[in-house]
Amino acid sequence: MSDEAVIPLRVVGQRLPRIDAGERVTGRAIYPADLVRPGMLVGAIKRSPHAHATIKSIDLSKALALKGVKAVVSGADFPEIRPNTIIPFGETGADLWVSALIVMARAKVLWVGHPVAAVAAVDEHIAAEALRLIEVTYDVLPAVVSFDAAMAKGASVLHPQHTTKGFETGAAIPPNIGSRTLLERGDADLALAQSAATASIAVKVDTGHQGYIEPHACVAEADPQGNVTVWASTQGAHQTEIQTAGILGLPQSKLKVVPLELGGGFGGKITVHLEPVAARLAQMTGRPVKMVMSRAEVLAGGSGPPAAADVMVEVGAEADGRLKAITGRYLLDTGGIPGTPTTLVMQASAACYQTETLRLEGMDVVTSKPRTEAYRGPGGIQAAFAVEQAMDELAIKLGMDAAAFRQRNAAVTGSLMPAGTPFPSIGLTTILERVAAHSCWQDPLPPGKHPRGRGLALGYWRGTSMTSAAQLTVAGDGRISVSMGTVDISGTRTTMAQVAAEEMGLSIDDVHVTMGDTKSSAYSDAAAGSRVGRTMAAAVVDACRDALGQLKRRAAERLQAPEGDVTYERGVFRGGGGIAASITLGELMRQTLTDGAIIGRGVSTKLPFGVEVGAHVVDVEVDPDTGQVTVLRYTAFQDVGRALNPTAVEGQMQGSVVQGLGWALTEAIDYDADGRVRNASLLDFRLPTALDVPPIECVIIETPVPGVPYGLRGVGEMPIVPVAGAVANAIRRAIGVRVTAMPMTPERVLAAIKTKAGTSA
Amino acid sequence: MKTVVHCDVNGEPREALADPRDTLLVLLRDRLGLTGTKEGCSNGNCGSCTVLLDDAPVCACLVLAGEAEGAQITTIEGVADGNTLHPVQKALIEHGGTQCGFCTPGIVISAVAMLAENPRPSDGQIRHAIAGNICRCTGYDKIVAAIAAAASEMQAGAKR
Repeated sequence: MSDEAVIPLRVVGQRLPRIDAGERVTGRAIYPADLVRPGMLVGAIKRSPHAHATIKSIDLSKALALKGVKAVVSGADFPEIRPNTIIPFGETGADLWVSALIVMARAKVLWVGHPVAAVAAVDEHIAAEALRLIEVTYDVLPAVVSFDAAMAKGASVLHPQHTTKGFETGAAIPPNIGSRTLLERGDADLALAQSAATASIAVKVDTGHQGYIEPHACVAEADPQGNVTVWASTQGAHQTEIQTAGILGLPQSKLKVVPLELGGGFGGKITVHLEPVAARLAQMTGRPVKMVMSRAEVLAGGSGPPAAADVMVEVGAEADGRLKAITGRYLLDTGGIPGTPTTLVMQASAACYQTETLRLEGMDVVTSKPRTEAYRGPGGIQAAFAVEQAMDELAIKLGMDAAAFRQRNAAVTGSLMPAGTPFPSIGLTTILERVAAHSCWQDPLPPGKHPRGRGLALGYWRGTSMTSAAQLTVAGDGRISVSMGTVDISGTRTTMAQVAAEEMGLSIDDVHVTMGDTKSSAYSDAAAGSRVGRTMAAAVVDACRDALGQLKRRAAERLQAPEGDVTYERGVFRGGGGIAASITLGELMRQTLTDGAIIGRGVSTKLPFGVEVGAHVVDVEVDPDTGQVTVLRYTAFQDVGRALNPTAVEGQMQGSVVQGLGWALTEAIDYDADGRVRNASLLDFRLPTALDVPPIECVIIETPVPGVPYGLRGVGEMPIVPVAGAVANAIRRAIGVRVTAMPMTPERVLAAIKTKAGTSA
Repeated sequence: MKTVVHCDVNGEPREALADPRDTLLVLLRDRLGLTGTKEGCSNGNCGSCTVLLDDAPVCACLVLAGEAEGAQITTIEGVADGNTLHPVQKALIEHGGTQCGFCTPGIVISAVAMLAENPRPSDGQIRHAIAGNICRCTGYDKIVAAIAAAASEMQAGAKR
């Protein structure tokens, strides 16, 4: 246990309601689509009807001639951005070329729905008419929609100039591979051959979607001096500024991004989509421009869905259950632009297990679909769907209890992660002890009308740290104000108010927290990778300690005491034997505010990773006549280091699980062979409703991370990772057959049942 | 050809010019400035635009503005009594039943409508009442708990 975790806390760890909840329940919270500016125009995007085509010509003249149309733009209105134009983002940077190409097609269109032009008009009806008047001629090229089509010999190559990295010299490289990554330890093939038991599985995962309820939206405005303001729904105001400025060729001093409320992002609102277009239209017209996507646009080419995957895994163990080998091949669908990373996925899929040997190969495959983007533990649920089924099958073959098998092989502090580095402090074995003792694992499955099964799966997510900044000022009455450089996607304003109140010895009502715009807050990376709670907490702690140092110097003067003798507790400074015994923070500020502002500065960067691990147990019932899977009971165990606010932690866990259940059972974007989406509505792309899911019981375990304030771990991503694997394992236990395609729709479950009946007959 | 639509919104007489293509959602958000009602899908699948039309919960995106002529409409802006929140709103705050908040106005309206019909709902009945409102953040548990708590609170209040 770290020292920090044993200090009793007053505010951190409390179940406090969100400080911004009142605006939300009354409809007063402002999202970009709600914003109205004087003289505001409506912007709209012309999208490609083809999945792969060369743009021969774009004629904007008829659209521009329509009364009420104020500006029309196409790719030619943005500077050319070359591949590998690296912009700051976390530890790795990001390629501006990818963002620019997502925002507007140039020579080629790469998916159905790829933007080719945009208009600004006085109302949405005229904007829609103007889109019809834009004439684009295409040379249609063959689309490669599936992995097989993209990697087939002689397939149409989407990026002929792209160099595929990661293959051995002389190896035959299939077409349309972004890059290849290999993680290898020992001789896994030999270890498999020597194993007492092995299990293998090949799974296919369809493209899903983050499914945020707020479609992408923004408002942009340019003043006569050339200053541009963008009001955005984004996971990172500073990331939006960097990308937008880069895509427009605008100095960052001329661009301010103001983050408004975000109606869900889940990874899909880090890369810009509309903002540079709205900003360009605003520059051209001199008027504010609002752009809001329709749901059909979101689902069919307007946003970056999470990757489809094709994963093959084989695992082997000794007769006593000790794992000898994990091998896997992971194909991730990157969509129309290469560069979706596979390493994290490979790492996540095998990280929960200690294994003698491993061989994991990953490739991102370029297809004629929208460029994929992050979604809550990106790639984790797809990989765990394969690995957790293989592990479960191996336990069955060995005749071992699924939890005992995992306990036998669970990663521990110091054991090697797939990438070869030792695990920092983790509590996976504690989690498995809790699972084994819990009623969700101990209680017999109650009998039902149809076959029932119980499934277990583990999950891991590394999360990330990146950088966060906070600025703290002290008002004339001693109340404090914190401006964060990150946006609030998970109750961050509330949890950071808790942290500031804790550190400053105040009540949460004495703390005001805002998400700053890019001109009033300091650079912080996006709210992504389960990082904001931990790293912003570290920045706020830093800012509080900085401010308290300054305040103590002032208090020492007032108390006529040596600075080193001044102590501070719960809003009161006390000096040694000075003329006054004490002074409150409020009184100190009343007396000294005009001596100059107190500004506490906090920056956290490269904080130790707060790896997330967990286990999920699910009971399902499978109707053998229809293939319908009903989720009966769900219990999620997770090590969160320390819960800043248990209500918020449960909210992340429950929300994650239900998102996972959606992809596991119903959610898939249905592309035809030409890359057209056949289900671009929330009727046909079916998110779980309140009737589709049971209550999600949360078991929070706290194993603090050394070197991180309060021992915090990431929370939000891990709990989606095990879901589909756990459900698949429960289905297997119910009906004796594995469903290897996700989502596990009734059709697929029924097909699996029929295949089994066919083979056993 | 635009027409004038007259209706009662949150107890106030309102009139606005509507294009024949405008929905009630457009009328509320763009003509009357009541942006608390959200647009998530524009075809009745997500429930974010739920409002009460003559006391019945409807998706405002599926009602034409012209159909609202003479109707009584309650939007999220009309649920609280000034700064005094409705028990459903208070309970959603206390139980962590709102995260990103985009679906919340629709959930509040659906819950208020259900409680008017059924003041002692089971958890199953609560889930049924909000089944047309998709929430992508919470996993629903804390919303269900909040509405159940609001029902109890309203029952206790009625007895007092």
